[in-house]
Amino acid sequence: MAQKSRVRLIDQIIFGLSVFLAFCLVFDSFVELPVLVAWLGRWHPVILHFPIVLLLITVFLGLTGKQIPVNLLAIAVISVLVTAISGFFLGKEANVKGDLMFWHQWLGSGLAALAVLWYWLVRKDLQQKIFTKVLQVVLIGMVLFTGHYGGMVTHGEDFLALPNKKRLEKIPENPLIYQDIVGRILDDRCVSCHNPNKKKGELVMTGINEMLKGGEAGNTLVVGDPENSEMIKRLHLPLEEEEHMPPEGKKQLDGSEIQILERWIALGASDTLRLNHLTSSEPLAALINDLMQPDPMEQWAKLPQVADSTIQRLSSDYLTISRMAGNSNALSVDVFSPPEYDANDIISLKRVATNIVELDVSGLPIGKSEVDEIATFQNLEWLEIDKTPIGDVEFEALKTLQQLKLLKIFETNITDQSIAVVKSLQNLKSLYLWETGVSEDAMGEMIKEMPSLQVEAGIDEEVRTFFVANDSIPKAEEENK
Amino acid sequence: MEKDKAKEENPLKVNRRHFFSQLSVGIGSLALGSLLIPDLFKGGTPELAAQPLGIPHFAPKAKRIIYLFQAGAPSQFETFDHKPMLRKRMGEDLPASVRNGQRLTGMTAGQDKFPLMPPAVGFQQHGKSGTWISDFFPHIAKIADDITVVRSMHTEAINHDPAITFFQTGSQISGRPSMGSWLSYGLGSENKNLPSFVVLTSRGKGNSQGLYSKLWSSGFLDSKHQGVLMRSGKDPVLYLNDPDGLSRSDKRHLLDHVSSLNKMHHVETGDDEIESRIAQYEMAYRMQMSVPDVMDISKESEATIKLYGEDCQVPGTYAANALQARRLAESGVRFIQLYHQGWDQHGNLHNEMAGQAKDVDQASAALVLDLKQRGMLEDTLVIWGGEFGRSNYCQGKFDVANYGRDHHPRAFSIWMAGGGIKPGMNYGKTDEFGYNIVENPVHINDFHATLMHAMGLDHEQLIYKYQGRRFRLTDVAGNVIKDLLA
Repeated sequence: MAQKSRVRLIDQIIFGLSVFLAFCLVFDSFVELPVLVAWLGRWHPVILHFPIVLLLITVFLGLTGKQIPVNLLAIAVISVLVTAISGFFLGKEANVKGDLMFWHQWLGSGLAALAVLWYWLVRKDLQQKIFTKVLQVVLIGMVLFTGHYGGMVTHGEDFLALPNKKRLEKIPENPLIYQDIVGRILDDRCVSCHNPNKKKGELVMTGINEMLKGGEAGNTLVVGDPENSEMIKRLHLPLEEEEHMPPEGKKQLDGSEIQILERWIALGASDTLRLNHLTSSEPLAALINDLMQPDPMEQWAKLPQVADSTIQRLSSDYLTISRMAGNSNALSVDVFSPPEYDANDIISLKRVATNIVELDVSGLPIGKSEVDEIATFQNLEWLEIDKTPIGDVEFEALKTLQQLKLLKIFETNITDQSIAVVKSLQNLKSLYLWETGVSEDAMGEMIKEMPSLQVEAGIDEEVRTFFVANDSIPKAEEENK
Repeated sequence: MEKDKAKEENPLKVNRRHFFSQLSVGIGSLALGSLLIPDLFKGGTPELAAQPLGIPHFAPKAKRIIYLFQAGAPSQFETFDHKPMLRKRMGEDLPASVRNGQRLTGMTAGQDKFPLMPPAVGFQQHGKSGTWISDFFPHIAKIADDITVVRSMHTEAINHDPAITFFQTGSQISGRPSMGSWLSYGLGSENKNLPSFVVLTSRGKGNSQGLYSKLWSSGFLDSKHQGVLMRSGKDPVLYLNDPDGLSRSDKRHLLDHVSSLNKMHHVETGDDEIESRIAQYEMAYRMQMSVPDVMDISKESEATIKLYGEDCQVPGTYAANALQARRLAESGVRFIQLYHQGWDQHGNLHNEMAGQAKDVDQASAALVLDLKQRGMLEDTLVIWGGEFGRSNYCQGKFDVANYGRDHHPRAFSIWMAGGGIKPGMNYGKTDEFGYNIVENPVHINDFHATLMHAMGLDHEQLIYKYQGRRFRLTDVAGNVIKDLLA
């Protein structure tokens, strides 16, 4: 008997909760929640995990043809109802419900209704095999979609967008400061909470007008006055402070991002301002230029792994191999004059050939075999082969180094013949070339042909003459001492 | 029992690794050890501090620094901060509103008048950048477009010792590691045959203040990061050479045996200083070969000698040290610190400044030119400057014929070149009196943060824990001055 009355009780609870939920949904705009009840809504993100798991277990049992314990189904249905009701309470905190919230609410409610229907069918023994199966499959779908929309409400619409496309997009040559710089910072750091769907603190930060409108606190953005703009003030509050933004635990803005926002507001928070409108002394220009510089670390990320033990094995007292930075696999190699030079030291670098981005062999008596080996270091960006005995024959091999940005080749035996090799290095930015066999004509021609190449051809003759003629402390004075 | 006693002497040196290895607990404790890493559960990007030492945190712009320290504090009014108004209002009292309660040194605190003094020398604009440089520095004027002058440096100290200590260690009180030591600690050595931090000193005829080895001390960091003073003359590094009759192979045997004894002692006590000592014996052994080589300027070309000035052939001069600095930089020394003494002009300003300028002008400029033609300005940062500025008023009675300037912490000028610093820039401004900064102030902590940034280090992440507290070169302050970076 006790068994029966318990089942009756469960039936009544489910019926009561269903009616309550329906009532809430129908009279949504008339419902005004007492503070304590609204607080119950805050438990929604905690409780919602129960119906997901319970429903999935129940449906799994059903679909695999097992007997579903009625108690399990009852608990699952109650948890669905409680979650839907708490979700409704939480939803009341948002004044305007965005698209995401709308879908989340109605999918959730539909899910609850369907779950109750299923329970009712089971209790009344009205189940038909096919119909129940369809119902179960639909339930799974609704659990997934409701959960997904709910996730987007909390974490931002593109939380699952893989990999964030906007971020990878290169900043254009002459960026619009709002759209390409400021907007991106806000998108990355603020918009996941301050969007039309979530509207934390009644603030939307997806556009300048929305920011000017502000949120609960007001003065979010005061044009020309970063110090009185609430968004800047809150960035500067200590992290522990309640009002600090972004809240503790969320990704924080770094110093230069804050500076960019400040300068942009100080300059009038315009959406038409471009980089080339700024004077060169404007700090914002420097900040943006800094941002636009390609991060070498990203380029190096593709290099194959090198173990510390490999680095250690190839190093010696006179050959230093170091990672360019952090845990990067890009290597810098410095070879210093050992008492007895051995070409094999350089040739054995073969093992890490693709990882070497900087190599300094200046002053070493290197020959053809070493240069040929160096020519296979295809990712080399920086090469110092100055003060070596190499000539045109050896240098010829280096035309394979298409990533080379900097080349030091002063005090070597190369001649005009090698200029063709230099010209073939597409990415070369700086060239140090003096005291070689290269003629002035060939140099002049090369400089003309490669306007983006910085050529250092030794100290300016005029300056050198000045230094020689105006010795601060000439010998004569020295002797008088 | 012996072991326990040794451990009692060095209780703090018994670290976790020691503890586990001696208890032979094995894999289980290792797993526990990894669980104890607090960052494990933080998620997100791995903490920079968790990265291995000896490697930059991010791609560096500069790999080494040559710091041309002008000890005694050269006056900004006779070097790089052009204040024509001081000539116009010569002899007038410094308005109290400008001084604004600035504390003074004991040398001028008793003065009832602070008469403004004119620059002792003319100024011209130079280069495309139009940088104002005093006529005391005709050679530096030629490199105006290669350097960036910062006229808005400021410090907290008003006397030499705390000020120079502050500049070198980030603290006015002695005992912290020098910036060269911090960089050695953070970046390691580029060349295993030379110390990563080398000091060269010279002295002008001007009024001098002392230099002390605490300025290049490694403080609480491992002593292998200490600056090594290289002297002029036959023995650049004291006691480096073997006594007569000891062959190099005998020395090798000696070192091997000493090293095995030291290792035994290390196992017993866990004192890390012993490991340092072993490493240093080894480096000294290699330095016996590398130091004479790097110090020998006989292979330098005539053109190079002429560029630095004939004075560079006289060992111990600033010019010789400047040339040496380039050679050391080429050999991969991370931090090369020159000190030139004699810049403390409390009196006889004009003559002493002229003499001091002569000592350093040509060689400093030559160093920049030489580095530039060798492509070394791309990854070497050169800095020129003193520990604070000098007052715009006269110390003692007003006398235009012979006057001096007292210390001034609120504004002074330095210049930098290469190593990821924008060339040909003028950064920061002082007011018409040259007394207060009106634009872009750079505090010593900011300066340190910026240098570390150029070297690929985050100044907030290079940390050493000592006596229960975490230390940084910038301690609890410092902002990277992004505007200075190219």
